[in-house]
Amino acid sequence: MVGVRANKAHRDERIALGVLATSSAIFVIAIVLILGFLLVNGTALFYADHVSPFAFLFGTNWDGFGGQFGAAPFIVGSLVATGFAILVGGPLGVAIGLFFSELAPKPVANAFKPAIEVLVGIPSIVYGWIGLTLLVPLIAKVFHAEGDGLLAAGIVLSIMILPTVISLSEDALKVVPNALREGSAALGATRWETMSRVLVPAASSGLAVAIILGIARAIGETLAVQLVLGNAAVMPRSLLAPASALTSEIVMDMGDAPEGSAFRHALFTMALLLLLIAMGLIVLIRLALRRRT
Amino acid sequence: MASVVMARPAPGALSSDRARSRRIVDRIATIALWSAATTVVALLLLFIAYLFVQGYSSISWHFLTGYPKSAEAGGGVGPQIFNSFYILILTLIFTLPIAVSAGVFLQEYAGPGRFRDLVQFSAESLATVPSIVMGLFGLIVFVQLFHWHFTALGGALTLTLLNLPAMMRVTQESLAGVPSTYREASMGLGATKWQTVLRAILPSAIGPLTTGVVLVSGRIFGETAALIFTAGSSVSYGASAYDFNPFHTAETLAVHLYSTQREALVPDATQIANGSALVLLVMVLVFNVVARVVGRQLTVRLTGKAS
Repeated sequence: MVGVRANKAHRDERIALGVLATSSAIFVIAIVLILGFLLVNGTALFYADHVSPFAFLFGTNWDGFGGQFGAAPFIVGSLVATGFAILVGGPLGVAIGLFFSELAPKPVANAFKPAIEVLVGIPSIVYGWIGLTLLVPLIAKVFHAEGDGLLAAGIVLSIMILPTVISLSEDALKVVPNALREGSAALGATRWETMSRVLVPAASSGLAVAIILGIARAIGETLAVQLVLGNAAVMPRSLLAPASALTSEIVMDMGDAPEGSAFRHALFTMALLLLLIAMGLIVLIRLALRRRT
Repeated sequence: MASVVMARPAPGALSSDRARSRRIVDRIATIALWSAATTVVALLLLFIAYLFVQGYSSISWHFLTGYPKSAEAGGGVGPQIFNSFYILILTLIFTLPIAVSAGVFLQEYAGPGRFRDLVQFSAESLATVPSIVMGLFGLIVFVQLFHWHFTALGGALTLTLLNLPAMMRVTQESLAGVPSTYREASMGLGATKWQTVLRAILPSAIGPLTTGVVLVSGRIFGETAALIFTAGSSVSYGASAYDFNPFHTAETLAVHLYSTQREALVPDATQIANGSALVLLVMVLVFNVVARVVGRQLTVRLTGKAS
């Protein structure tokens, strides 16, 4: 009896291990498939439609039906909007991370934290809708402009990356050993001096990861950006002029581009570019974390 | 950590002018950090208030359950709300077994090594794939390759890929919170590893696990970019617009908010968008509250802790 039971337990153990390992392998298979399919479909523009990668990356004329596939306006749009978001949302997010890790009394932290979680949960389309109906008219009024454009997209993205940057910087700061805080205080540093000269440098690699993941969130953001950018497929001349980004242009054009056409291939190429940027950021994170150890 | 006492510089240790200016800088920085945090919370409250003010007049029983109209005013979003939940449930059916198993494997079984690093790296990479890119992958595979056209199933499978890493992370974190004495006690009583996982570790991690799962569900509910070109931006008009066929097109509420902006011919597109935005926000709030309450309840019931 006991022997049979032990055998069954042993067999269950082996089956369980097999199932668990297979589930884990699905992650590997999934990312390989995604990379593979996008590589094949994203390079069709070059090998099947004979558009040169140079013309795609640096060309400024975009006309899907007219065979013009210069994606530079969208690349610039994505980079400027993301850059703006990081310049505003990055420091602000780290500052609030410092607030939660060093300053906030417990009741305040308990009251504020759920707010940050709700901010994560608000769908990007809702951020876009608030941006379109609240922020764009405000910008139009203040700057006497149309309102939609890279400034509006940058502001919306700044807010959207905040929760990511806040919670990751807080985590990075919290693991800094207390001895550093005590040592700094014993040397007569004020609280701000301790934060800015001891804690931030000590947590620098973790803070870098927080910023990089903020970049990843911003560059891939689609609908919040699409609703407030104005969607003009031209090189943006200012932060207030209507513009477009890689993500928003894909959404704008995908429904019109026939299957198998160069137009659709060009949109896949833009998706491939986004994927490669995302993978590049992952490698950067690995490098930032390796420096720590 | 905030409890560490930060000594002020001793008076007379420095020239008093310098000490004073350092104190002022410290004071300014403290005020700045407090204002930054308060501003963000105030911003959230502003968003909530704004969406309620704009949207509440659109909300009615008819709006929440009625069918959308194609050209005249007064359409509802019933099928879209149904589709949002339907795709969420389909996604959870695929995501949970895979992600929880992988989380258990990485946290409890796999020792440090190549395979574990590979899975971890794949999960991190998967987590940074932008949702529009995942949407195009879904389009390539489910729409173009399998010829399914736009389907609830294709949308759900795309969302599964998008949310596997977050679910796995949630599982890993919940398991990491279980004290190692539980494992030792169970194994010491002669249980196998699998018996330990199934009867000791998972039940005691069920609270935080549920909280995490519900929070991720909230994000699945509001996802848009990955669904537009996989599940489609129109509702199915079969026998009923409340359609359980996973091979029919299924526009969700979030996608509806997008498509009313993009292409709607109805004169009340703005009101419909305002109402949809409010429903989405309320759902986010509900998911957050449910996550907390259910997580706590389950922890109490299954572990007897923190009653």
